[in-house]
Amino acid sequence: MSELSREALLGIVRDVWERRDPVPEHLVSAMQATAAMAASDLDAELMELVERSTELVGARGSTAYTLRFVHDDTDLLLRVAVDGDRSRVDGWVVPPEPMTVRALPGEVPTPYAAVVTESGRFELTDLPLGLLRLRLEPHDTTRPAFATPTFEI
Amino acid sequence: MSGIGAVRPSGQAGPTDQVWQRATDGFNRWVAGEPSGLDDLVAVMTPVLWHVVRSYRLSETAAEDVIQTTWLALVRRRAAILDPTAIGGWLTTTARREAWRVAQATSAAVPADDEDLAPMLPRQRSAEDAVVQRDEGDRLWAAVDGLPERCRRLLRIVAFENRPDYRELAADLGMPVGSIGPTRGRCLAKLRVALVQAGATGTAAMETGEY
Repeated sequence: MSELSREALLGIVRDVWERRDPVPEHLVSAMQATAAMAASDLDAELMELVERSTELVGARGSTAYTLRFVHDDTDLLLRVAVDGDRSRVDGWVVPPEPMTVRALPGEVPTPYAAVVTESGRFELTDLPLGLLRLRLEPHDTTRPAFATPTFEI
Repeated sequence: MSGIGAVRPSGQAGPTDQVWQRATDGFNRWVAGEPSGLDDLVAVMTPVLWHVVRSYRLSETAAEDVIQTTWLALVRRRAAILDPTAIGGWLTTTARREAWRVAQATSAAVPADDEDLAPMLPRQRSAEDAVVQRDEGDRLWAAVDGLPERCRRLLRIVAFENRPDYRELAADLGMPVGSIGPTRGRCLAKLRVALVQAGATGTAAMETGEY
């Protein structure tokens, strides 16, 4: 006698509960409204690019440059290094503050993220080349996130 | 949908794999600055959270409150989520913790099994279809409903979640952590037997099942 597989049985369990105890009709739209309203308070504030330097480093065309962004009292220094078709960003947040930094590549939305250390440092490695934005999310949730303008690696 | 016909062939990934993928996509788009990403994340995960939270025997109103708390926690604590592929698990874990907390606080006041009191409303179909569907649906429901309480809750959670954390699950269900896996296996075996006894497994599902 053949038997129902585990996945088939769990499928039955899902079907039964979906029909027996369905999600209330209004719930999804109500939760979307709730989440959107809460998120709208957290709109990122845009940082301003104040310095950019290019330097040539090493052989084989690998390059590095530095960027500096500011927003209010926060300074963000970046050293961007390109090696072949990948890049890395070493960052320094001044003054140091617990936050998460996310790299948001332009086309493929696959964020890379790091938490800044006590000294304000962070690194993002193995990033694809192309357009990039960084988003800084303070762990103090009363503070809004910042985002850099898009820059190209 | 004819009840048993809705059973997925074995070996094929369940719908939940797509759910987790869509949740990750929505989260990624949201943190990249697209508000519609958050909408999609909420749309795809709210039904999962509903079934997970309701397995804690909360009233509908209490369950909705827990789910709302979960979404607010996500927005406030987004910075804590470094791995976008883990967003589904973060949400279900957060919801289960809150559901457990609320259930502990209110267990004396909530009547057991209020879902038993809510009549299932079959979708509008031709009268003949409706009868057939209800028969099949009733048989499947009877098999699930006839399981011991612990099995019903465990299987509901496992069916909707993606690899739930066994340690927390064990604590919530009052079971030793090492027994979750074996218990799940026994519960599935009981369900299999119950379905056979109910005559609810005579069709496609049987042919596609594994030995």
